[in-house]
Amino acid sequence: MTSEQYLSARLRRAIAEDPRTTELGVRVTVRGDHVLLSGDVACEERRAELEAVVHEVAPEVVVMDDVRVVSVAEPEGSEDLR
Amino acid sequence: MIRIAAVGDVHLGADARGRMRPALEKVGEHADILLLAGDLTRHGTLDEAQVVAEEFADLPVPVVAVLGNHDHHNDQPVEVAKLLSDSGLHVLEGDSAVFRIGDETIGVAGVKGFGGGFAGKCGSNFGEREMKAFVGHTITIADTLRTALESIDADVRVALTHYSPVPDTLRGEPPEIYPFLGSYLLGEAIDATRTDLAIHGHAHFGTEQGLTPGGVRVRNVAQPIIRAAYTVYNVEPAAVEAAVS
Repeated sequence: MTSEQYLSARLRRAIAEDPRTTELGVRVTVRGDHVLLSGDVACEERRAELEAVVHEVAPEVVVMDDVRVVSVAEPEGSEDLR
Repeated sequence: MIRIAAVGDVHLGADARGRMRPALEKVGEHADILLLAGDLTRHGTLDEAQVVAEEFADLPVPVVAVLGNHDHHNDQPVEVAKLLSDSGLHVLEGDSAVFRIGDETIGVAGVKGFGGGFAGKCGSNFGEREMKAFVGHTITIADTLRTALESIDADVRVALTHYSPVPDTLRGEPPEIYPFLGSYLLGEAIDATRTDLAIHGHAHFGTEQGLTPGGVRVRNVAQPIIRAAYTVYNVEPAAVEAAVS
């Protein structure tokens, strides 16, 4: 395992286990000194919390945040199960 | 025809209070019943459960829920379920509920489910105490799901779980973590009971559509998958019966 893989594992575990985030549905990709976060969260506040936890665990990295806030709109259609 | 709305993994907390409510108040225009496939909260606290209760209370359709792993994190699943039940939700864990929709009936059996993996690539009830506890938990839950499904006398029979009964709806997740996302034992229970539809959540990076080995449709309704407050499936009891026979 390279140090990038260890850092990725540490960050993913921190995001899952830190009470501020507890997100198991966020991907962490490490490329050099850049960390890409991707996935979906329930509201805007949680994107900021993710970045805060990553900065605490790895203050030296640059965070790229592709996390999206999930839509809570009405469905546009329906599926017929025949 | 019965219109089934479903969503899982809404992960509500005080910071997301009220976000879903506008779409939920219109659920009656889209569906006859709403199923919640677990992970209703972030940490399983009673404060978060209260947010869930307020979000899903007093809707124009029955709301049926199972809990997920997040709802167990604070070790208060019984208290969380009671709070939700007291607010009018039908919270299932090894039991079922039947609802009349016009001239038709729909029965829903629900369990949280658990992991273990899928046929040929799964854990066994053997070895260390911790491993036996892990796989044994799934075996117990799958048995209760089977019993609950068998007990349903209705036109449409639905299995509601948090964990997946099939690998199909996990495509997009790393294959290495499939044993933490579901178990074939759930699928086996579904296939043994002439079930019409299986609804689950948990796999945020999976896909919506799947099929059990016995030909039962499976839908992963984790909110990051369906990208809406809920999605809707229209089930015609006669059509489902014809497909089965």
